[in-house]
Amino acid sequence: MTDGFWWLLLWGTIAGLDLVSAGQVMVGRPLVAGTLAGVLAGDPAAGAMVGVTLELFALELLPVGGARYPDYGPAAVAGAATAAGVPGVLGLGPAVAVALVVGYLGERTVQIVRRGNSADARRNRVGLDAGDPACLRRVHLRGMLRDAIRALLVTVFGLALAEVVRRWLPLDLRGAVLVGTVAVGAAFAVAAAGALRLVGRGGGRAWLAAGLVIGAAWVMAR
Amino acid sequence: MKRGMLATWARTLIVQASWNYDRMVGIGVAYAMEPLLRDLPGGRTNGRYAAALKRVAGFFNAHPYLTGMAAGALARVEYDGVPEAQADRLRRALIGPLGSVGDQLVWAGWLPMSVAVGLIVAVLVSVPAGVVSLLILYNVLHLGLRSWGLAAGWRAGIGVAGQLAGRVMHGGLRFSAAAAPFAIGVALPLVASWLLADFGGSERLGAGVVGLVGLLLARVLAPTLSGVRLGLLFLGTAILAAWLWR
Repeated sequence: MTDGFWWLLLWGTIAGLDLVSAGQVMVGRPLVAGTLAGVLAGDPAAGAMVGVTLELFALELLPVGGARYPDYGPAAVAGAATAAGVPGVLGLGPAVAVALVVGYLGERTVQIVRRGNSADARRNRVGLDAGDPACLRRVHLRGMLRDAIRALLVTVFGLALAEVVRRWLPLDLRGAVLVGTVAVGAAFAVAAAGALRLVGRGGGRAWLAAGLVIGAAWVMAR
Repeated sequence: MKRGMLATWARTLIVQASWNYDRMVGIGVAYAMEPLLRDLPGGRTNGRYAAALKRVAGFFNAHPYLTGMAAGALARVEYDGVPEAQADRLRRALIGPLGSVGDQLVWAGWLPMSVAVGLIVAVLVSVPAGVVSLLILYNVLHLGLRSWGLAAGWRAGIGVAGQLAGRVMHGGLRFSAAAAPFAIGVALPLVASWLLADFGGSERLGAGVVGLVGLLLARVLAPTLSGVRLGLLFLGTAILAAWLWR
């Protein structure tokens, strides 16, 4: 079993709840979730690297209204658990692959929860349409419970997948470096595409370009 | 402070728990505003108490951080004795502005800016410092917006739309529209150099090629392909290639 399994399970569930249902204080952002998961799994550096890489994937998200988007909180937890204890950057590629699978699964399960909430509201239409506060409270808190169970199950799946990949993914040194390289490249492609989508065609492009010039100059000056 | 305000504020933190495709955030907003309605003359036996909950628990949508503003305003009109038809018109009129202003200000502005600042601090100082920066910077606006929105909604009642048109809100929208892309621009090269520091020259070149191909795919060839799917496509191919290459 992964080191710190129960703590990782708790943390993944909290991070999954933060996506929509509770708080939205951004503890479910990959940078936050991955970094703390690395600490819980006994490898803070691996968690930080996975968190930063996944944050690039998450930069493209605009979590508006009923939009569908991956659940990167439990994903980052699973990713950090995959990379923990693997030397250097060798664990990064498999960790990002696991995280993306978990993130995608999270996206699908959010739809299931929302459909469950719809069905619950329909079943309780009489009480809701009468303005019954007890009915309101029950329907609302059941939605919360549904999402907590969803986040828990997604995290369980993520940690199980992490264990399978750590034990049985048939990658040698060269393969692990290749997958890590592709993970970083793909992360930057998604972040750049997301940034361009965010700024649209307006003056935001000039601000993005200015930032890129300053960031590049900063890198060269270091 | 109006009794029930604190409970309403706390309930807005879980306002989206029952989000669904039929009523969207309506049930959550009704649940959040309920403590504010308890002091209506006659309390829960006042017909307006149940009527207000029923109205709001129908279809309603807004940015989650501005649902407090809606709850405050919609509760206030009940105390002010605004005719029910007018209260319902207010409810429907709030849906658009509370959604679009919140989305522009928070999701498209403050959130990406805070994340980019967190990444910059993570690379330049330390990753834990980046995490703390992200959480503090983001939640200053987040929690402030929730608190201000609830108070402003309760204060303004039927005139709540005017609160969204204020100078501070316009300034915030303008600032975040510029600050978010600028911060992302600064963050990307810094994060690239940090992530690729332990890779060799050929891997850096390879990551650059993958990045350019991915960008081309995401922007031109398959713009509807989401980031997670693009990542899965690339990584699945890479794992297969690495397995065959052993």
